This record gives sequence, structure tokens and C-alpha cells, in this order.
Amino acid sequence: MEPTAHGAADRTPGGRACFCTIVPPHVLDRLAEAGDAAVRDAARRSLALDARHRENRVLARRAAPPPATAGDRPERTVRDARHTEHLPGRTVRREGGAAVADGSVNRAYDGLGATFALYRAVYGRRSIDGAGLPLDATVHYGRDYDNAFWDGERMVFGDGDGEVFGDFTVPLDVIGHELTHGVTQYTAELEYRGQSGALNESLSDVFGSLVKQYALQQTADRADWLIGAGLLAPRVHGVALRSMRAPGTAYDDEVLGKDPQPATMDGYVDTRDDDGGVHINSGIPNHAFYLAATALGGNAWERAGQVWYDALTSPGLRPDADFAAFAAATVEAARARYGEGREADAVAKGWAQVGVTG
Amino acid sequence: MRISVTRTGGLAGIARRAELDTSARTDAPHVHALVREAMASGLRTRSFGVPDGFHYEITVDGRTVHCADPRLTEAQRELVSLVLQEGA
Repeated sequence: MEPTAHGAADRTPGGRACFCTIVPPHVLDRLAEAGDAAVRDAARRSLALDARHRENRVLARRAAPPPATAGDRPERTVRDARHTEHLPGRTVRREGGAAVADGSVNRAYDGLGATFALYRAVYGRRSIDGAGLPLDATVHYGRDYDNAFWDGERMVFGDGDGEVFGDFTVPLDVIGHELTHGVTQYTAELEYRGQSGALNESLSDVFGSLVKQYALQQTADRADWLIGAGLLAPRVHGVALRSMRAPGTAYDDEVLGKDPQPATMDGYVDTRDDDGGVHINSGIPNHAFYLAATALGGNAWERAGQVWYDALTSPGLRPDADFAAFAAATVEAARARYGEGREADAVAKGWAQVGVTG
Repeated sequence: MRISVTRTGGLAGIARRAELDTSARTDAPHVHALVREAMASGLRTRSFGVPDGFHYEITVDGRTVHCADPRLTEAQRELVSLVLQEGA
């Protein structure tokens, strides 16, 4: 089963969405993204992109240690697709450049900086590849585009349709989420389907949330543990896209449907959609992290975050790792760094509570 | 001609589905041309997308093709937008 939406809006071709009181139940248009702008030479570019991805991954694993100073500071470039779906877009702000009038550009720039700061200051990682890779983002992708994604090279943000979703650069955790897909690409290379895909998603949520918690200097008990807070339009019944504290409770809305995330293995969803439910079943490892982090208390990015980071970057973690394999990697990482004790116990207990045993 | 589009995935992981019947449309010849082009360049099996990218499944007369952001052809982009915006 997949969540489908039924709702109350209508859209005329090329016009603004308008909400109406009586509409056919299956009119699902209001979230539809960009209209007529299209990707040119898509086939050719996708082939080139695939080749580059493979090359990047091979290079990332074989790369020599970077010079001591490389990657100590971010090297950011923000581009503007100007409501087309042509990437990368026109450069509008480079590293060190002054803030511009466009809030989306500045939020993306600051979010890249906040993500870089967490990885560098807390985990000693020099940018997403560990070797000072420049950080690139494109904003204003498409028209009314209801999504943000990582294309293997850059973060891409839509403006949202304004009726259900707002600007995807607004939540800092969403920016951290997208860039962490880059970190995963350069480390564990978790395959984006099934349980390994849900782990890939969960790691993006975990470090996305930690980017926000670190920026706000919030302890685990004070954090909201939400992904995408501030992204849903005011008329939507919901607080965010996902909740790590209480998966399945982020929204319950006539247009969006109900948050389908399970918190434990009892609720694991078998589906072919969404790459095998990667955004659904990620609720399970998300909740395990939340449980471990709150049991340990204090700043979640310190011990719990360090253990998850160690597991993500451990050479033994396979690209097709399932939940149990990742759970085992975290427990092992906790023991390796902190010995037998509170940390390893809290981590093991967190996984056990969501029904995963390493 | 009945065209159905299902969009799955995305950062939010929320599916959208819509169907469009071209029988009463004045632009049916244009839509049919789009369908031919979009189907010809679609993949028979689910494509491997990018993290958080949308996946699209286009079904016409019992035949289904797949495509995924950001690698849609112009025809696919126009068709999925049309069906998701104007379909029911």
C-alpha cells in the first residue's frame, strides 16, 4: 500500500493553484510540479552523470589523504535555476560573497555552511568527500516544484507550490539531509532500495537533524527531532515530514494523507514504491537513533552521533547492509570508541526497542 | 486514450496518482504525440533514481514505462505535468 492523497484544490493550466470547496476526490493535481520546462539532452547527460558518479565513487575510495589544510573551510557555490529544470543554473553566490537579496540563496549558502561545520568540527570530516569537495547547490529548480534532491553532485531545491509545501531551503535539517546523501555516497555507498535504502535515508535524517541541533546548540531533550519543520504550508495539518521521536505522527491531513512511517519492525512496510519504502521504513532506524541519543542525554551529536558516524564510515559496512547489519556496526562502533558501558548499552537497547537485533 | 501517471518517492515519500482521458480533449492529437514520444524513451523496468528524486510510472493501454528525476525527456516532463495537473 502506498499513501495517496485526495484533496481540495484545482489548478488551471499554467495558472495558480486554487482551493475549492467541492472537487472530485481524485484530483491530485495541486502538488504537481513544474510545467513546461524540461531537461535538454537528458539521455546524453544522464549517461555522462552515471559515468561521473561511478568515477567519483571509485576515486573517493582510492583517494590519497588530502593536504592538511584542504577542506578546513567550505567552498560553496549557490546557483539559480530560475524556475527551469536545467542544471546547474546561473551562479548567484560564491564562497565569501556577501548575502544577496534572495532568501533562498542565502539559506542554501548558510545551510551548506552549517552542515560543513558539523562534519568538520565534530567528526573531523573535510567536506562531504573527506577531501575538501566544493559544496554546490541549485535553488529555484522548476516551477512550484515540491521536492529537494541530491543528484550525485549537488543539492537541488524546489520552491514548493505554496499551497502544501513551502520553499525547501527553509528547514536546515533538509539541507543537512541532502548533503548527507553525498557523505553516504562517498562512504558506505548504501544502495538506495529496500533496507539499505531506508538506512541511507535514515542517516540523512539523523545527520540532518544533528546539523540543526548543533547549529542551535540544543541538547537531545530540547531538540524537536523533526525533519522538515516549517516546510508544510500553514493550512496543512502537520508539523513536518517526519518525526524521529514519534514516527507516523508528523502529519495527518486530507491532502497529504497520514504519515506512514513505522517506529518499529512490527510496522515494516513492504512496497515496491519509493524504492522499496526508503522514506517509510527509515522511521525504524530513525527511532533507534532517537532512543539511543535520548538515553545517553546531552548533545546528540557527541556520543550517539559519533557512534552513527563511525558506523557509517566503517570499512566493514557493505552497500547492501540491512537494519541488523547496521545495528551491529553501531554497537561495535560504540564498543570500539567507548568500551563496554553506557554507550554500547544505550545503542543496543535502542535497536532492541524498535525490534532490530544486530 | 487513458493515460495514468503515478509519482512516488521524493524527500517526502508521498505518492501522487492521476489519470487523464483524452477522448474529450481538443488537444488530443498533441497529447497523443507526447505519449508516443514519452513512452518510446521510457524504461521497461523501474529506473534507479537519485536520492530523494521523484519516480514516475506512465501507463497507457496496459503498457507501462518508468522514468525518474532529473532525467526526464522534454516529452516525459510535459506529459507527467499535464496528467498530474489536469488528470483526475
